[in-house]
Amino acid sequence: MSKGILVNLTKCIGCGSCTVACKMYNGNQWINERAETNGEHAELADENWTVIQKFRVPQPVETGKTNETNQEIWRFVKRQCMHCKEPGCVSSCFAKAFQKTEAGPVIYYPNNCVGCRYCMLACPFKIPKFEWDKTIPVITKCVMCGNRIAKGQQPACVSVCPTNVMKFGDRDDLLAEAKELVSSKDSHYVQHIYGEEEAGGTSWIYVSDTPFEQLGFKMNVPKKSIPSYTSTYMHSTPIFGAIWALVLTGLYFFTKRKDHVKSAENKNSETTE
Amino acid sequence: MKPEDQHEPNIDVSRRSFIKMAGTGLVVGTIGCSGQPSGGEGWMPSQYEGNGNFPPQVRGRIPIDPQNLSITRDDRKCILCGQCAEVCSKVETVMYNYELPLIDNIPCIGCGQCTLWCPTGAITETDGLTALVEALNDPNKHVVVQTAPSTRVALGEEFGLPAGTNVEGRQVAALKSLGFDTVLDTNFSADLTIMEEATELVQRITGKLNAPIPQFTSCCPGWVRYCEYFYPDLLPNLSSAKSPMSMLGAMIKTYYAEKRGIDPKKIFSVAVMPCTAKKFEAGRPEMNHSGLKIGDPSIRDTDLVITTRELAKLIKLRGLDLLKLEPVSYDNLLSEYSGAGAIFGVTGGVMEAAVRTAYVQISGEKPPALLFNLQPVRGLAGMKEATLEIPNHGEVRVAVVAGMGNTHKVLERVQNGTGNWHFIEFMACPGGCISGGGQPRTALPPSDEVRSARIGALYNVDERATVRLCHENPEIKTVYKDYLGEPNGHLAHALLHTHYENYSMHLKKKVNS
Repeated sequence: MSKGILVNLTKCIGCGSCTVACKMYNGNQWINERAETNGEHAELADENWTVIQKFRVPQPVETGKTNETNQEIWRFVKRQCMHCKEPGCVSSCFAKAFQKTEAGPVIYYPNNCVGCRYCMLACPFKIPKFEWDKTIPVITKCVMCGNRIAKGQQPACVSVCPTNVMKFGDRDDLLAEAKELVSSKDSHYVQHIYGEEEAGGTSWIYVSDTPFEQLGFKMNVPKKSIPSYTSTYMHSTPIFGAIWALVLTGLYFFTKRKDHVKSAENKNSETTE
Repeated sequence: MKPEDQHEPNIDVSRRSFIKMAGTGLVVGTIGCSGQPSGGEGWMPSQYEGNGNFPPQVRGRIPIDPQNLSITRDDRKCILCGQCAEVCSKVETVMYNYELPLIDNIPCIGCGQCTLWCPTGAITETDGLTALVEALNDPNKHVVVQTAPSTRVALGEEFGLPAGTNVEGRQVAALKSLGFDTVLDTNFSADLTIMEEATELVQRITGKLNAPIPQFTSCCPGWVRYCEYFYPDLLPNLSSAKSPMSMLGAMIKTYYAEKRGIDPKKIFSVAVMPCTAKKFEAGRPEMNHSGLKIGDPSIRDTDLVITTRELAKLIKLRGLDLLKLEPVSYDNLLSEYSGAGAIFGVTGGVMEAAVRTAYVQISGEKPPALLFNLQPVRGLAGMKEATLEIPNHGEVRVAVVAGMGNTHKVLERVQNGTGNWHFIEFMACPGGCISGGGQPRTALPPSDEVRSARIGALYNVDERATVRLCHENPEIKTVYKDYLGEPNGHLAHALLHTHYENYSMHLKKKVNS
């Protein structure tokens, strides 16, 4: 069954353990001068596969009340690859460098990569990053610790979280749990599970008590999976190719025969002369 | 030319070379594209390597706000051993003692115990040396430094001396060599604190001051912030007296400046403290009592706090060998101290010093020998109690608590009225300031052996002192006679007392913690 991770943003205290675990386990470099991993200026980068971003948002107001004090609250958001059920990066990669595993992670084979960066355009969450400053650059992104999952372990970031922000498990179970959280009677969560439908559903799903648009989540992500936009006509390419080959072959024989006839006629006229 | 020669150059690809090329390409392609997927080249501490969906008991780390005035962390050194979270949650009961989600800050009392528990030195105090070196190099600044009671019994450890070696004189010599214009002793203002705090206690007990009993000590900034966060209803119990550091800071910019004829604006007041929370205390907006007195609110009582570790670092950076320095005594203004002031750095020390003076103030009699060796409040226990019989008054019950984890039982009893103490001393760090968050790193976690050695050294200072009562310190008498008036008087209140802030709206305390 496909694995997933449920992120409960209300529990995050911004300690950044997950970002450290990611660097440690994946052997990534610290590039704080270029891109921070934790705080208001944190951003994903080739060496930052996951970051914790800090947001100051207006305090959520209970229904029927107004936010008179205008109090600001802090929220922290973990960012990494969402691991779509049907990933755009995988469908755009002709070198098979990106592969969706059965367990859930979208893993990446750097040796297959030709550096075309189609995946960067295909990703609706703008996750894949390119190693612009390397001589032989490849793409990088979170791979959900595919090899840890294969060994029966949790992803590194999940295992270190001191406040259990993340829960690792079967995606279907986690989605059911998220729905229960959101729809419970005195729920203080917003009525939206980010990742349930975004880009056709993702392995990482988020619940929050603050509107997702205030927390830097992309809200214009289509509900349809990215490959589904092109799959109909991309699937017809083999047939199209075959027909086109037949047409061209036909044309070839047609012109060849025409030339043959022409030259034969010329020969005939020469001999008759 | 032979026909073969004519033919030769045109054969670019023979059948053999074509097969060679194709074969090589196939092999290289297969090998090149058959690598491992990315990720997983590094390591994780073993507690995270377990199979299954079970969270390790010791995991993660404490959150630290980049704006935290006390502590900072170098992520590159963090190995997620989880020790900071252990000490913060188990010893100090800060982390995990609040409900999630967070409100608008990352709760921290600045005690810095995490800096002592961090095995890689990833968590340290915030940098004070850059500003210090700048001030020392500025010829227009008169740099005054005060040293806390506890730094003198720990600084030597950074230079190879056994724990508990008293290097008071050599510390002064080092500070002089580093270029400080004046070196003063916080021990003096510890005596001053007792004058104010004991007077306040007597006023509370005798009903002259309309404030609740028990009185809580307020010299530990970690404890003060803890009370503001978790027990705001008990803030009126906190003594309004400032900490020795802030008292001396206020005295430096007023009394000292007047006596020496120095413009207070030119004074840069530095404090060497065993504590990271003091950095935060110095930055509290209300700590500008000297500025208010002078008429320039931008003047701070204490401009900069450095820890014992930072002082050791600076001494080493300047190439000084502490052991080879000839001991020097403190500058002779605001530096005399009693034995009671010297023991401020140990858990129970403030209490012992305060009851000696309170005894005299209440009874008017000379304190008995017991008060000079108040065993029940000595030692490393987290919670200690003592009952004293004071002539002309009756019983005075005191308690001593060190480590914020030990406060809850005591404070809950105060809240529900079952605790009948008159005076309670609180210190955030186990053992008191001698094992504060700014002291030299020792074993991990800090061992009681080192704590006991440092404590012994401070009690030694008290035993050898000729004056062992704060109010008998001749310089204290002079300061009150010449300048402050009387304890808890008008000027004393303006300079030496403060107020507290209810900070509980910034955190939701966990129920049943």
